Amino acid sequence: MVLKIHGNKMSTCTNRVRTVCEELGVPYEIVPIDFSKGEHKAPEFTAIQPFGQVPYLDDEGFKLFESRAMARYIALKYGGVGKLIPDPKDVQKTALFEQAASIELCNFDPYASGLARENIFKPMFGGKTDSAVVEELKTTLEGKLAAYDIILGKTKYLAGDEYTLADLFHLPYGALLEKQGIDYLVSGRWPNVTRWWKDIASRESWKKVTSA
Amino acid sequence: MVLKLYGNVVSTCANRVRVVCEELGVSYELIPVEFTKREHKSPEYMAVQPFGQVPYLDDDGFKVFESRAIARYIALKYGGIGRLIPDPKDLQKTALFEQAASIELTNFDFYAGTLALDNIFKPLFAKKMPNPAAIEALKSGLEGRLAGYDVLLSRTKYLAGDEITIVDLFHLPHGSLLEKQGIDFLVSGRWPNVTRWWIDISSRESWKKIASR
Repeated sequence: MVLKIHGNKMSTCTNRVRTVCEELGVPYEIVPIDFSKGEHKAPEFTAIQPFGQVPYLDDEGFKLFESRAMARYIALKYGGVGKLIPDPKDVQKTALFEQAASIELCNFDPYASGLARENIFKPMFGGKTDSAVVEELKTTLEGKLAAYDIILGKTKYLAGDEYTLADLFHLPYGALLEKQGIDYLVSGRWPNVTRWWKDIASRESWKKVTSA
Repeated sequence: MVLKLYGNVVSTCANRVRVVCEELGVSYELIPVEFTKREHKSPEYMAVQPFGQVPYLDDDGFKVFESRAIARYIALKYGGIGRLIPDPKDLQKTALFEQAASIELTNFDFYAGTLALDNIFKPLFAKKMPNPAAIEALKSGLEGRLAGYDVLLSRTKYLAGDEITIVDLFHLPHGSLLEKQGIDFLVSGRWPNVTRWWIDISSRESWKKIASR
């Protein structure tokens, strides 16, 4: 039976999961959740996802939410070990993967998603961008990318010399930076970051998810 | 050779690692990195941790940073499988563990960690006072999330299921600091399952040992 992802193609977090499916050739079906109709806050949805956040996965009755957990589950179950995540028996490689996964969540996502929230989603839903918050987020992100540049000067990808989910997780909010006129990932100001970003953003899986 | 943890007893993130070591009876040496002397921003320190953040681990030359990655590594290597983390061969249990791990970072630490930073650490170390509107927004956000936690913890004893995992422990450092800020969200019983769970995890011997030093 085909995986069901309850979400939509506009949702950054849904696209994080779709990209993993595309990478591994795993068929999936989107069960549409319409934000504008508040479907993500409806009782049927919050019975499964109590935070009212999109997406969640239904794998033949086994339900899971949090896009990164869904991605890890799909990778573990459908041939991602050795391709997108290291073999858990390799304790050091796994540690460096978890280090990279934590870096993405703690040192990139709060700032990149915060910027998307202020500059894109707030105006979209009738709110007002707070320019002081935007400046603070940008300044912090600049400092973080300087550190990324050091790490990516030593290895090709964030966890080592092989592409992993930790790199992929950056794609949805990373791609939205340019749409806000923030060129941090593409300008070459941090050359290793730009080299890495161009690599991961040009993968077929991401191009397919963003074109559909 | 004994594990070397570069950090200090005040650091919430170092304590996240230390509580896991205590749970598993893993010996470690705490090598002091003092915030007040800005040692975490020294070239020697940043050569290992380029974000200038505490802690990092040195296991016989193998270096890891990010407290949750360090904790996972220690659990995997030193007997945590089946005790604090699920067996990776159990796919569904692992998936629910990863769901819980993601919840902790995006739905708890985002608010509780920033509250601690704004109300306690920035005033203490950077003489930067909090913005009251920002604090109220963070508190409001956390209230919404804890309502979600209460639903989950009405179904299972701990966040990933009926067994404690490192993910429950991950909440301890920033969770404990909420009360110090006069925020009683975890202890008041307003969200009864959250309070039941919080009292359980914060009364463990491993945490009491860390929190006392």
